[in-house]
Amino acid sequence: MFKLIRRNLLRNKRRTILTVLSIAIALILLSFLDLLLAAMSGVNSANANRLVVRHAISLTFSMPAAYEQRLAALEHVEGITIMNWFQGRYIDDRPENFFPRFGTDPDTFPDVFPELALSPGEIDAWRAERTAFIAGRALAEEKGWDIGDVITIEGDIYPVDVELTLRGIFTHTTDEAAERVLYFDWQYVEEALGNPGQINSFYVLLDSPDNMNETIAKAEAMFENSPDQVRAETEAAFFLSFIEMMGNVQFLFSAIGLAVIASIFFITVNTMAMASRERTTEVAVLRTLGFTRSRVLAIVLFESLAVGVLGAAIGLAVMPVVTGAISSVLATQGITFSELRLGERTSALVMGIGVFLGLAAGLVPALQAMNMKIVDGLRRVA
Amino acid sequence: MTVKLVEISDVTKNYRRDEFSIKVLAGVSMDVTEGEFVALMGPSGSGKSTLLNLLAGIDRPTSGQIRVAGQELGALNDSQLAGWRHRNVGFVFQFYHLIPVLTAFENLELPLTLTKLSRAQRRKKVDLALEVVGLADRKDHYPRQLSGGQEQRVAIARAIVTDPRLVLADEPTGDLDAASAQEILDLLAQLNEEFGKTIVMVTHDPRAAERAGRELHLDKGRLNSAADAA
Ligand SMILES: Nc1ncnc2c1ncn2[C@@H]1O[C@H](COP(=O)(O)OP(=O)(O)OP(=O)(O)O)[C@@H](O)[C@H]1O
Ligand SMILES: [Mg+2]
Repeated sequence: MFKLIRRNLLRNKRRTILTVLSIAIALILLSFLDLLLAAMSGVNSANANRLVVRHAISLTFSMPAAYEQRLAALEHVEGITIMNWFQGRYIDDRPENFFPRFGTDPDTFPDVFPELALSPGEIDAWRAERTAFIAGRALAEEKGWDIGDVITIEGDIYPVDVELTLRGIFTHTTDEAAERVLYFDWQYVEEALGNPGQINSFYVLLDSPDNMNETIAKAEAMFENSPDQVRAETEAAFFLSFIEMMGNVQFLFSAIGLAVIASIFFITVNTMAMASRERTTEVAVLRTLGFTRSRVLAIVLFESLAVGVLGAAIGLAVMPVVTGAISSVLATQGITFSELRLGERTSALVMGIGVFLGLAAGLVPALQAMNMKIVDGLRRVA
Repeated sequence: MTVKLVEISDVTKNYRRDEFSIKVLAGVSMDVTEGEFVALMGPSGSGKSTLLNLLAGIDRPTSGQIRVAGQELGALNDSQLAGWRHRNVGFVFQFYHLIPVLTAFENLELPLTLTKLSRAQRRKKVDLALEVVGLADRKDHYPRQLSGGQEQRVAIARAIVTDPRLVLADEPTGDLDAASAQEILDLLAQLNEEFGKTIVMVTHDPRAAERAGRELHLDKGRLNSAADAA
């Protein structure tokens, strides 16, 4: 029976290959959109207790370091730390060597980011040495770093090369993207630059999410009459403001994704309908030979399922190549994403859509084959 | 000893076409004895194929009873009927209807995949059936690599590979040249005589009908039985 299904798939090779490939291409596009969205939003690792304070004009402007003290004095604030986007070059410009590199304050960072698990010994080691850095487990594993390893990052935004020693590897229980980040002591750069005292953003930990709106209003009001006004927002909103820069990308992507699924669905339905129409007589012959209705149903469904799954499998196999290529193109345009990799979630999504496409497209022909009267099927050709 | 393999009593069949109902069979009764070779003749549209399909259990009568090998077909549901067909009936079509993507061997193996037979047992049965029709050397050929006559021989082998008691053939020589038709008729006669298969064959060709032990004539849905010398 499987032999029959396999041979039927190979019967019209060009049609099968084209259908499988179009499913694969559609799914690649789809999962790429999905990855892009996930990479841009980073919403999964946002903490509902945290807010981010940044310059009111844009992310590229900095605020005086002295703001930290004043923000810390606000009611409901439990902790505050600084965050500066260092960027720089690690080894070379290839996208796989790009990952977020932040300068922060080791004294306050662990309290504000409790979800990034570090042992007390590692925290102490990080604080003890100006050139120490910590990295997420996923990043360290990928780069093959061990505690004590020394790396160099050439500055680009800042004219400083930093030489850093790994003193801690942190983990995050759910979000692998959060483990693909490097943090080091901003004081290192600060001193090399002659203490300009400029900060990109402050991460503020509150006692409760309930006090979020109140604190946001107070923080913004506090600097209303300063030359550097601030914008305060929840961490999730802060991540999403990247997206806002490009308009409502999320909506756009979802719409594109749906359109892609719909069109590939119709293509698959059409192929399966054509394939089964050609085979009406054969189905009648199978039934004459004693194949039951349900067996005929299964044969048609399996064939269609195989097309969908094959498409998804090819899509998944080719996906890393495509993301690699697209990220390098984007990188030349100055757009870099750390997290363009196929996770379990996206793979499952792609496989799920492949299975769905196969079953859905095969359903009508399968039911037709099942409900056909044998004599009608046999009369088709004669 | 005469065992009645097929008993048809007062069978009618109407086909609905839009508003109209066409009476194709208007009360047919007949018996076929085990081991008989019966030819069913009659003008086009007289209902020959319809009657044969009812016998094969691939269609159901509007009224009347059909009993094959003691089994009342009307008592079986669709999937029981499928199983019954598989065990009791071998069907030969005018246009062979081999599965084009399968080799001769695989075409014969197909009905056997519905059984619990092992691979080796299946292979043995397929080889034997191909041997009977004289095409053992063509078992790896696809249908399109065979002549019409060879295709029909493979189709006959497929009909007997499950060893059914009843072989039904609807104009098995209708699409063949005279020489190939002759081979097919020889083969059917051999199945009847050597292997004791009961055969009902629909045909337009009087010379084909002569090979059978008995001729039945269907006209406008009624049977005018004309017994030949048996
Ligand atoms: N499935 C069907 N649906 C509607 N009408 C049918 C169906 N099968 C047969 N008929 C009609 O029933 C009549 C008898 O058809 P049948 O195929 O039994 O004739 P036949 O004797 O085999 O003819 P032929 O020698 O041309 O094969 C015809 O008028 C045909 O159009
Ligand atoms: Mg006919």
